Order: sequence, then C-alpha cells, then structure tokens
Amino acid sequence: MSTANLTQRPDVTPAKRPTEPSKTRSTLVWLGLLALVGVSAWLSGARWSELGSLFTEGWRYFLLMGQGLVHNPFSEPYSEYWTLAFDKMMESVYMAWIGTLMGALISIPFGFLAARNVSGRVTVQVSRAFLNLIRAVPELVFAIVIMLPILGFGPLAGTVALGVGAVGTLGKLTAEALEGIDMGPVEAVRASGASKVSVLRWAFWSQVLPEVLAFWLYRFEINIRASAVLGVIGAGGIGSLLSQLFSKREWEQIGITLAVIVIVTVLVDMISGAVRHRIIAGSAKSERRIQEETVAL
Amino acid sequence: MSATATDASALRPRKPGPSGVLIAGLAAVAAFTVWAAIQIEFTLAPLITNFTNGWEIIQEFLTPNWSFIFRVWEAWVETVAIAIVATFVGVLVGLIFATMASRVTNRSNWFYRVVKVALSMVRSLPDIAYVLIFVALVGVGSLAGILALIMFNIGIAAKLTAETIDAVDQGPLEAADASGSGTISRTRWAVLPQIMPNYLSYCLYIFELNIRASVVIGVAGGGGIGSVIDVQFSRFEYANVSAIVVAIFVVVMAIDQLSQYLRRRFV
Repeated sequence: MSTANLTQRPDVTPAKRPTEPSKTRSTLVWLGLLALVGVSAWLSGARWSELGSLFTEGWRYFLLMGQGLVHNPFSEPYSEYWTLAFDKMMESVYMAWIGTLMGALISIPFGFLAARNVSGRVTVQVSRAFLNLIRAVPELVFAIVIMLPILGFGPLAGTVALGVGAVGTLGKLTAEALEGIDMGPVEAVRASGASKVSVLRWAFWSQVLPEVLAFWLYRFEINIRASAVLGVIGAGGIGSLLSQLFSKREWEQIGITLAVIVIVTVLVDMISGAVRHRIIAGSAKSERRIQEETVAL
Repeated sequence: MSATATDASALRPRKPGPSGVLIAGLAAVAAFTVWAAIQIEFTLAPLITNFTNGWEIIQEFLTPNWSFIFRVWEAWVETVAIAIVATFVGVLVGLIFATMASRVTNRSNWFYRVVKVALSMVRSLPDIAYVLIFVALVGVGSLAGILALIMFNIGIAAKLTAETIDAVDQGPLEAADASGSGTISRTRWAVLPQIMPNYLSYCLYIFELNIRASVVIGVAGGGGIGSVIDVQFSRFEYANVSAIVVAIFVVVMAIDQLSQYLRRRFV
C-alpha cells in the first residue's frame, strides 16, 4: 500500500539533476594562462622557426650519437673515449662527494643556530637570513665570483663552490629537523644534569641524525648533476669535457660521454637511495615526509 | 655480600658494541673520502695563500655597477619569458608522464617499467647537457634554453607528481572502477582532483628552479640574463657581473616569496 502511495506522490518523481557549477572562472584562468604563455613565447625572442630542424637535424645527430655506442668499446679509439668520459665523470663524483661533505660539516653549527628551540630569537633571525642568502645564489655564481679568482681553474674551485652552495639548503633543513623533534628526551637529559653541550649532542642531535644523513645523501645526488655545470666554466669535472666535445661536434664521442653520465648517475642514485632507505627505516619520520621536505633542496 | 656487589654492577646494562656493518660502512666511507680528496687534490691552503690574488677581483665585485641592471632589461624579460614557457610545457608533459609512471594510474606492468627507466634517464642528465645538446641542434639563443628547460622540467615534474599519485586515497579510485570508467576517465576524475594542490605547488617550485637555472642556461648559450653574465665575465667587467648577481638574488627572493604566498592559497 505504501509503495502505491509513494508512486502516486508527485514530489517523489526523480529529483532534478543538480546544475553543474559554473566553469567561467576556470575558463578565465586557463585563457589568462594561455595568453601569458603566448606573450612569453613572443617576448622570449626564441626563433621558433628553428623548431623544425629539431626533427630533421636532431634525428641525424641522434643516430650519430648512437653509432658511438654500438662500436666495440674495446677498440681504438672508442676505448679511449669511454675511459676519458669515465675518468672525468668520476672527477665529478669526487667533487660532489667532497663538496657535499664540506658543506654538510659547515651546515651543522648553522643548523643549530637557526633552530628556534635551540638558539635565541636574534641568532635565529640572523642565521636564517644568512642561509637564505646562500640558498638564493647559484653555485655557478659562487664559482665565478669567489672560487675561480682565488683557487684558480680546476676541480678544487668547483668542489669548494659546491660545498658553500650546500650549506644554505642543508643548514635550513637541519634547523627544520631540529625544530620538529620530540622534546621529551631533551627534558630527560636536562633532568639528569647534563651540560648544554650534552643536551645538544644526546637529545637533539641523536634524534635528527638519520634524517640529516638522508638530506646529505640527497644533496650529494644533486651535487653530482650540479658539478657538471661547473665544468663548463673550467671548474673541473665532466662539464668541461662535454662543452669541448660539443664545440668540436664530435657526435660519436658525445654519445659515449652522455651514456657514461647516465650510467654513473643512475648507479650512484641507486646506491645512495638504498643507503637512505636503510638509514630512515625505523626513524620517527616516514620517508615520504623527508621526500616532501627535500623538494626544497 | 659478594652477591650484592655483582648485583649492583649488573644493574647497569653493558653498552652494545657497534655492529660490523656499521664499522665496515664507515671504513668504506672514510676510504672513499680520502681517495676522492687525493684525486681532486683537495686543499684549502690557497684560500689563505692566494687570497690577495683573488681579493683584487673580489674588490671589484664589491663595487657593483648598479646602472647596468637596467641597461640589460631585455635580458631580464627574456629570462622570465623563457621560464614561463618552459614551465608551462614542461609541467603539462610531466603530468602525462607522471600518470604513466605510477602503478595507480598505469596498470600495465611492462609499460610502467619502461616509463620509469626512461624518466630516470631523463633526470640523470644535468641541465647543462640539455642546453649543450639543444644549442647544437637549433643554434645559440633562447629557443635552446626553452627546450633544455622543458626536458629538465619534465623529469622533475613527472617524478614529484608520480610520487604524489602513488599516495592518493583509494576510495575515489574504487568508486570510478565500480562505475566502469576507463583508464583515462579514472585518472581524470578520481586521481587528478586529489593531486591538484600538490601539483600546482610543484609547478610553482619548478618555475622558481627555472629562474635560478637562468645563469646556467645563459652561460652555455641558451639566452637570457645568464648570457649577459657570460659576456661581461669574459670581458672582465666584474662590476657589471656583480650588479647582475645581486639583482638575480633579489628576483629569486621575490619569486620565492610570491610562490610561497600562492602555495599557501593552493594547499
């Protein structure tokens, strides 16, 4: 009976489908964005007509690069190309390693100085400003402005530039990690009558160590790529070889060199990633959090 | 009595010794560090002995030629324009690759693996390598810079976004599956709305990176303010270089602040 009643009631006829919310706003945003990109494409002064040669010339060069790779790597002169590229790439890895280590060691005190729960307000402000200053200047600029005049051309200048560049980001991340610690252990260590230094060492540093080590390794991975840039201005590493080869247009050797860069970088990333997983496993913070934070690197 | 004495000493547990793996790891790290330092002839002595040499040049840097900043305003416009175009194209293509590089949205195992390997190869080449490649292909100028940055951006955008897609809430996905949607509409309606805030903040971050990279791009022949630095540096006009460096610093900071403000609104 009730069903019969229901079907008879006029207001139970299928309700109207709700109207779709207006799309005007998103359309306007898209139009604005497209206009911005269009104007930028024009203002950038790029010769867009050259884009076609990417597909004609590009394909030819790509094949030439590939040819370098398929030749027997143990025959002359290809064995020489492989060893040269490998040596230079390893120089980049060494530069990145020493630079990162140097930057990491310098960043520790700055991390403590810039952490709100460790230092006073003025100290925090001053050291934050200093770290931001370093972060905003690209390594290349450090290398050009300070390192090359003092240290001369070569891997040493590049290494020190990478080290100084690493201080900004690592110091900031260390400070943020310190601010995120559990204050319980700090109280416990204080209650046991520890000195100020012991508190920092056993309550603060112990808690952030896994996270900070993960940041260092991330930075090392980034510095391997950054060291290539420094080579172009003569500060050592694979970059100098690469820019020489491109100016001579030695496509086969370029192909080999790029392959070495890819292989070594992927290998180092894999090793460093495995170590990071192991270090972070069991620490309070999930790896996901750390990945999100290292976006700032 | 002796029993109580042993009890007292037994109260404090013995400190566990370091594990063998840790010792071996630390030894390996130390050995690698020493080896690397020898290979690149690492020394900080020149910082002190050569300081006077460098100091003359650094002094020139300390007196920037401010008027030069505005004389090259076209290069500034070019730098920002390059960054905008490269970010726009790079993040759009990166989004497509991101959906292919996550098991959530790509249910084909072999295709997922292929995309993952390809992306890690794209990421492993440094930005400078892309600039050199495209300068060789399309000639010196901002087109090479734009193309290089696009490649660079695809790698980063795809990686970050794919990680975000991996972590989406499964509920909407199940709903989309239950209603019989295909891979594309499932991605569009169940995944995309969830990742949008993070994705937009990655876009801003990548735009920032592109402004920062402008020095590198220019030095290798990709146009923008970096090429001005390169020219002035080779002419030993250090006062001009330092003015530009300070200005880049200010621009980067300003864009940093702007994007932080926008990010707070998105997320």
